[in-house]
This record gives sequence, C-alpha cells and structure tokens, in this order.
Amino acid sequence: MPEPLACAERFSFRYAEAAEPSLREVDLSLEPGSFTVLAGVSGSGKSTLLRALCGLVPHFHGGEASGVLEVAGMSVRDHGPAELSRLCGVVMQDPERQVVLGGVRAEISLPLEHRGESPGAVARAVEEVALALGVERLLDRRTDTLSGGELQRVALAAALVHRPALLLLDEPASQLDPVAGDELVWLLRRLNEDWGTAVVIAEHRTERCLAAADRVIALEDGAVACDGPPQRFLSWAAESAEALATPLARLFELSGLRPPPVSVKHAREALRGGDLSPGGPRPQPPRLARRRPRGGPPPALALRDVWLELEDGPAVLRGIDLRLDPGERVALMGRNGAGKSTLLRMAKGLVEPSRGRIERAGDVALLLQTPGDYLVHERAREEAGERGLELAGLAHRAEANPRDLSGGERQRLALEVALGGGGHSAVLLDEPTRGMDRPHKDALAARVRALAGAGAAVAVATHDTEFAATFADRVVLLGQGEVIADGSPEEVLGGGWHFSTEVARATDGAALLAGEGAALLRAELVR
Amino acid sequence: MRVIPVYRPRPSALHAARAGAAAGLCAALALAGALFEHPLITAAVIVAAYAAGAAAQVGREMSRVALLALPLAALVAVINPLVYSEGETLLVRGGEFLGRRWDVTLEAVAAGGLAGLRVAAVVMALGLLSAAVDPDALLRLFRRVSYRSALSAALAVRLVPVLARDAGRMGEAARCRAEAPERLLVARAALSGALDRAVDVAAALEVRGYATATPPPRARRLWSRHDLAVGAAALAVAAGAIAARAVGVGSVEAYPTLELALGPAELLLACGLVVAATAPLAGRSARLGVARA
Repeated sequence: MPEPLACAERFSFRYAEAAEPSLREVDLSLEPGSFTVLAGVSGSGKSTLLRALCGLVPHFHGGEASGVLEVAGMSVRDHGPAELSRLCGVVMQDPERQVVLGGVRAEISLPLEHRGESPGAVARAVEEVALALGVERLLDRRTDTLSGGELQRVALAAALVHRPALLLLDEPASQLDPVAGDELVWLLRRLNEDWGTAVVIAEHRTERCLAAADRVIALEDGAVACDGPPQRFLSWAAESAEALATPLARLFELSGLRPPPVSVKHAREALRGGDLSPGGPRPQPPRLARRRPRGGPPPALALRDVWLELEDGPAVLRGIDLRLDPGERVALMGRNGAGKSTLLRMAKGLVEPSRGRIERAGDVALLLQTPGDYLVHERAREEAGERGLELAGLAHRAEANPRDLSGGERQRLALEVALGGGGHSAVLLDEPTRGMDRPHKDALAARVRALAGAGAAVAVATHDTEFAATFADRVVLLGQGEVIADGSPEEVLGGGWHFSTEVARATDGAALLAGEGAALLRAELVR
Repeated sequence: MRVIPVYRPRPSALHAARAGAAAGLCAALALAGALFEHPLITAAVIVAAYAAGAAAQVGREMSRVALLALPLAALVAVINPLVYSEGETLLVRGGEFLGRRWDVTLEAVAAGGLAGLRVAAVVMALGLLSAAVDPDALLRLFRRVSYRSALSAALAVRLVPVLARDAGRMGEAARCRAEAPERLLVARAALSGALDRAVDVAAALEVRGYATATPPPRARRLWSRHDLAVGAAALAVAAGAIAARAVGVGSVEAYPTLELALGPAELLLACGLVVAATAPLAGRSARLGVARA
C-alpha cells in the first residue's frame, strides 16, 4: 500500500461564528493518483473539506478545528496554505473570482514566481502546462477577454503549473455550459491518468465525473456518510440519499434493475445485455421555428426579427423571432456566448435592439445570473416583504442579512424581489440553477410551474438539460445568436449530442427523465 | 464606452517593446507635458501622444482619452480665472463676495487655458501608457523592489474594471426590481460585494503561495530592436525636454501681461518631441515579423 497523500482522523471544524460544525469527525485517506468525487447537497461540508485540504481552513477562514488532517505528512493545523500550496493546486467554483492578474501568461506564472523560480524555469513550465491543457493560444490574451470555459482552463493551468501531487476542485463546471463542462472533466481524467495527479472534485452533478472516478465520498451534515467506489455510492444513494443519485441510477432503481450504472456506456451495455431497448418513438428532429395558429390570445412576449449588432464587434443576436404565450414554460439553451442572456435582457428592456421590435403584453420580470445583485438591504424582510418571504420559504429567516443566506436561499429571495408582488405577463430567469443541488432545483421547477399556472409566460436560460426536461414544455436552442431549434423537450433534448439528458442518451431518446424511462423499461420487462 | 483605456496586445512596435522602454516613452511625454506651459510645446506633446497611439494601433483608445482630457482641461481653464484675478487686462468686473473681489482678467483666462492644455498633455501621455503598456510586465519590473506592493498594484489594476462591471450589474438588477432601491443602498451593497470579491482573491493568492513569496530573481532578456528604438526615443524626449527647460526654452509669463517666447527654439523643440516620439513606431523599422525568404 502506498503512503496516503492525505489522511484525516476524526477531523472536525466549526467556522468562527457558526453554531454547528461544518465538518464532523471526518475519517478518510486519499491515495496518490486517485480520482475522488465529493458528493453532497448544499451545506454538507464539501467546500469546507476542500478548503481544509489546502489549509485555507483553519488558517484563512478561522474557526475551531479538532482531530487530525494531514497532507503528505503535514498537519493542516500547523502548516498554512502557502506551505501546502507546494503539494496542492486549487480551482474554485467561479473562475472570475480566482484570477489575479490581467494577462494569461502572467497569471499562470504567478505560483512559480512566488516560489522564486528562475525565469527560464517559469517560461518552460508555463509553456508545458499550456500545451498540456490546450491553452497555448490563450497565453497572450487578457484574462478579461476570455469566456468562462477558457478562464476556468487558465485557472486550472495556474493550479497545475507547479505539478502538484493533489488537485482540489470545488464545482469547477458549475459556471460552464455542458460542452465546456464535459471537456473539463475529460481533461481532469487525462491529467489523472497521464501525470498521476490525485484529483478531488466536489460536484453536484456527479453524473459528469463518476465514469472517471475511482471513489466517491458522500458528506451529510459534515460527516462522511458513504465512502467507496462509484457503484457502491450509487447503490447507497438509491437507498439512503435519493437527492444524490444520478438520473441513470434513478432510472435503474425505479425499473428494479441492478447494479446502478456509473456511466451512459454502462447503462447502454446493461440494457442491451438484458435485451431491454425502450420502445418509445424515436425523437423527431426539432423544427427551426414553431408555427402558430392564426388568431388566439395575444402573446405574453414576442420578439420580431430582433438583431443586436455591436458597434465594434459581431452581431450578438441575428433576426430572432420568438413568441411566448401566456402559461408557456420555455427553456432557453445554447452554449456560452450563444446570446441567451442578451436575449433575456433585451426582452426586459435593459438592452435596445439595433433592429426589430419587441412586444410585451405587460410587465416583464427578470432574474439576472447573480442573485446577490438584487439584495441591497440589511434584512431579508426589507427585500421582499412578509409575503415574498413566505413564497420564498424564508419566513423563518426574516431578520437574517441576505448575504448570510445560502446560495439556494439567496436565489429564492432574489426571485421574489424580481417578481415584486407578481402580475407579470412574462417571467425570465437567467441561469438560476448554477451551483444548486437537486432538492433546490425541484423546488425551483415547482415555482416555475406555479408562475406559469398563474398565467405568466416563463422563460429560463439554462445549461442544465435535466432541469430543462423537468420544468419546460418547450425548448429553444440558440447558436451564434440565432434560433437553431425550437420544439418540445422530447424533440430537442431527445436526440441531441451535448444538449441531451443522460437518460435520453442511454435510451436513444425514448425518454428524457428517469421516471418516464423507468415506465418504458418496466413495460419492456413485462413484455 | 470605456474612457480609461485597457491594455490589449496589438501588433505594434510600442507593444513589442519591453514594458520598461514603452513606459519610459510615455513617462517622458508626461514629463515634457508637465515641464512646459508653452501652448506650442504642450500641444506638441498631445500630438505626439496621439500620433504614437495611432501608430501603435490604439488610435481609437486615444480618441477616448481625449474625450476625458478635454473636460478636465476645460475645468481647469474655467476655474483658474475665478481663483486668480491678477493681470492687467480686465474682462469682467465682479462684485465683492466672501471678502474678496471676483474680477476676471484676460491673463487669468489665458493662464487657465495654458494650464488646461498642460493637464490634457499629461492625461494623453498617461492614456498612452494605459493603452499600450502591459501592466503585468510593468509591475513585474517593480517586484524586485517591493514584491507585495507591486502585486497589490497589479491586483488593483485587474480589479478596477471587474468592480466597475459588478457595479454595472447591480445597477441593472436595481432596474429589474419593481421599485428601484435608493442609490445609497446599491452603492453600499456594491461595496460589500467588492469586499467579498477581495476576500476570494486573497484566498486564491494564499493557495498560490503568497505568504511565503520571495522576490523573483533578476531576468536577463536581450534588447530587441524595438526595445532599443523605443528606449532611445524615451531618452531623447526626456533629455530634450529637460535640457530645453534648463536653458529657458518655452518660457511663459502669464502675469501681469501674457508673454510667450515664440522662436526657432520653441518650434524646434515642438517638432523634435513629435518626431522623437513617433519615429520608432513608424516606417519600415517599426514593422514586426521577419523578412520574407
């Protein structure tokens, strides 16, 4: 057995002003070259454990620690993040918040310059890590001109440039579109296999990385609830923590199939081996634009041949024709930079189109990507009033400072602030599920359905295909500022490559979600 | 529209030159602008900075800097005659207020205009620095002297536009509320957000070994032709301006009557500044790349 790279024995930690500990008697051992996924709902202690492994806890954040946590024999209680940085690379959730310098080359060089490496050694290491991560063409770019995916790769390069033995990542794909998120996970797998870098990644959407992982550690209330290979984790989740089960594991569980698959490939093999091919109709290719019957009620929101052409750049939106009817629930999808956010901001009136016109039947509510931007008061009650707090499920936090609320709570409060009492003809939400766990997504889907039920057209820009399939009755796919697909979730998400649910990939598009897929599989089993 | 330009790499001799040389040229122009009140010379500095920017492919950015410089210059020009009432040529006879007379003289108006032009010249030179000199490379120069101060400055340079973007986003969010909150509340929330962001960046620095950082060893880099040409231009501009000032070229007396020296020396200095500042950036020698085989 090799010496463990990191090990914890009854390690507990409580933040300075918290009533309850964030980590409780954690026991674990991480081997060199392992790939570990940290699973758990929001507030379960994933981020705190990562911060403890790199020494930020307790040295930077402060608090009360007990027990033992060592990285390469160095106790995190005695050695700070600067000393542990020789062994650990860290990538946080929001790439924008961890980039320090203005130029990509300078940013990647910084950890080596801190260590006083010679310019030649720095130049060589930067060149090599850039080539390894495919960011060599970005080296002379400015960091504020990079997309989220590019910035996250640069952050990864800066974390890896000194060849750490342990790479810690805190939901690194939560801000990325499915394409960039998948690319990042494949990159991590390659690093792990080719360089032997031990990877610990905290992730809500575990289905992204289970195929690459050797092991999953699930945390509940700061304690280790499950520690084992991915398949054992999925079996445990199916029985004890449904919120952590992947869509395919739920599909198998609901169908009575064993063992749960860790990847789409395993699921397909298992279904093929059992001669189970869901017999649903294959999805039709989505239409480019929906035809509407003449007459009928006026649209809640309509964009007619809308263009946005920048003065010194390309057109962001190109001839968008989009009509949202009252009560419609629309998922707006597309990769980063496709024009989703711009379209929503234009629909609200924050941006004027350079051509075309926008018709609004009434007020339009818009929740922008960063919910914290809406929260300007000292108390939650002052933000949304008693009624708003009730609708947000936050009546018990009325006196709390909005900045002290969790991410999910802040999102719900910001939504009520944006709705401001209701009466809107259209409600637009921009990426509301970023960094959200499944219970919170389910609650948001229920709120969206309630808003649509009250007569508002609801459009949600999202990268989360499972969430889109859960709430939407229509999916619009944008590409390069144009509508490239517009149809039912089955049509658009059933046969997609990246824009497709995990269940759809395993069932050849016969079903999008675990529940309906299980119904088809059970029918197959009976037959 | 961004009034203060942000550095972007461009294929120009000024961008290709090492940060020390390029910053030296901009600093020399700023020095020349600050040393002289003579309108011909300060105008020459403005022209030199703009022309150097245009040659370095940041002409659009320099136009925006000019939009910033103009109101600043106008402000100085307006305030000066209100503050100073020296001069023999009375234009407006003001009354008594706050225990003094508020007369406006032709000389004070002219002196205000000259001071405004001087401010504009310095702003244009600093605008060129902001648009054409890589701040990371520039700050790296200072890291050997004071590592942490240089890094703090680098952070500030990076965070200013980020925080401006945050504030813009919060302004948009305020417009999305049913009732727009008071500006003071939004400003306070923006400040809290800035502090949160600063904490995140501090954490990112910690995990990259900031606490045990040592000054980087001296980097030896050969001087390219662009380094040499731009460095020589910086020396020429600075030396020319200092020497001319020392021998009294471009003297201006605003009070009691306006007296401007305007002879061949002033003309020569003005032309010399423009030519020296733009020569390394124009012509065949300023082209980048290698000759065709």
